[in-house]
Amino acid sequence: MPKNNRSFRLGVAGPVGTGKSSLIAMLCRELASELQLGVITNDIYTDEDARLLRSAGVLDPERIRAVETGACPHTAIRDDVTPNLIAVEDLERDFAPLDVVLVESGGDNLTATFSPALVDAQIFVLDVAGGGDVARKGGPGIARADLLVVNKTDLAPYVGVDVPQMVADAEAARGGKPVLALSRTDADSVLRLKEWVLEMTAVVRSGSHTPVDPGPMAPHSHVGDDGELITHTHAHAH
Amino acid sequence: MGSPELVALMLADARLPTGGHTQSAGLEPAVRAGLGADGARLADVASYAADRLRTIVRVEAATAVVARRLTLDGELVEQAEAAWAARTPSQALRAASRRQGRAYLRLASRVWPATTEFLKADAEIARPVVVGVVAAVTGLSAEQTARLIGYDDAQTVVAASLKLLPVDPADAAGWLLKLHPDIEELVTAVSRITTLAEIPAYGAPLVDVFAQAHAVERMRLFHA
Repeated sequence: MPKNNRSFRLGVAGPVGTGKSSLIAMLCRELASELQLGVITNDIYTDEDARLLRSAGVLDPERIRAVETGACPHTAIRDDVTPNLIAVEDLERDFAPLDVVLVESGGDNLTATFSPALVDAQIFVLDVAGGGDVARKGGPGIARADLLVVNKTDLAPYVGVDVPQMVADAEAARGGKPVLALSRTDADSVLRLKEWVLEMTAVVRSGSHTPVDPGPMAPHSHVGDDGELITHTHAHAH
Repeated sequence: MGSPELVALMLADARLPTGGHTQSAGLEPAVRAGLGADGARLADVASYAADRLRTIVRVEAATAVVARRLTLDGELVEQAEAAWAARTPSQALRAASRRQGRAYLRLASRVWPATTEFLKADAEIARPVVVGVVAAVTGLSAEQTARLIGYDDAQTVVAASLKLLPVDPADAAGWLLKLHPDIEELVTAVSRITTLAEIPAYGAPLVDVFAQAHAVERMRLFHA
């Protein structure tokens, strides 16, 4: 494939029901007039997500494709990305030139993150209804995705979650990487999400971006040869 | 290049990244059509795998064996794809096999680059043809090639049954073991084939019908 057809491939991961499809629909609505977009969904058992996005009318239905994962959503974005890569490349070929292809994971657990072989950057989505302590508990996506979204902040009063505290916990777990408290009823937060994607798109286009692997391993510490405590956030051999 | 024995093990390993987790060898639509009777007749799974080994998998294995031969002889392997397509009436099965072939080719072009001397790295070409070319460039024998196609199909059926029916994984492994004679029969039947005309034209019409229905099914775990 000619290099100039290569899009910015952006993954959207996170547990089931946190709002990944809605976030993608939101991005399509906000960005479709500025960027050429495509979407790949990884439904676990149906093409519901692809259908939801197609029926939302925010993007040409032809630009939204579903990939089956054989009930292995984790494998499809991590251990064996082949079917997803082929789907991304087909979209890039059929609608060249695309600016951004959004790849939605099948809604696995907190440990599922995208392989850098599939995406250039990834958003990890949590929601307040999943519990205020989830961000503090951490995990590779929460700690090291390029952007962490704390979604559905408008529901916080109903589920007894302190949003500023949840965001502060997430920021503490992420060492300065961005956290975005998002609600579709909060126009400012939607604008910040849009701006992040536009900025990331520009960075990837400039060629100065190296995908960061959130990795399956949590940050961990051990004592080095000189007795100093060393904390790692990357996978390595001890 | 590695030893042919180890290459055969790699190709038979579901952990090889070729999208194998998206395949059920037609078991999913068969279960939807009643195979296994909602868990009351689990032995159906092994019978289904055996029926495939006696019919459409022989076509695939023979295609792979001939594709290997053509590659070794410096002939065009596309002829094997045409012969396979003529013996595979379901458009859905042809499309699924070509998609898998592309996934294999994608990997092979990185791991066994000699493959690309015979097939374009992004070609959509039937999986058994790609396997035949990989077999030729890695030194697999015709028997190893046929055994690989037979084993892979049976294992795909058996492994998918764990996701589709209430199956004890140890029972499933036992079914696979009992299919060994069927796989070896297939190896004997196809490994001496050297010409396109000798590729058999066995059919399994229900498998074709199920595959056509599955291609437009909304609720599915597996691509095919």
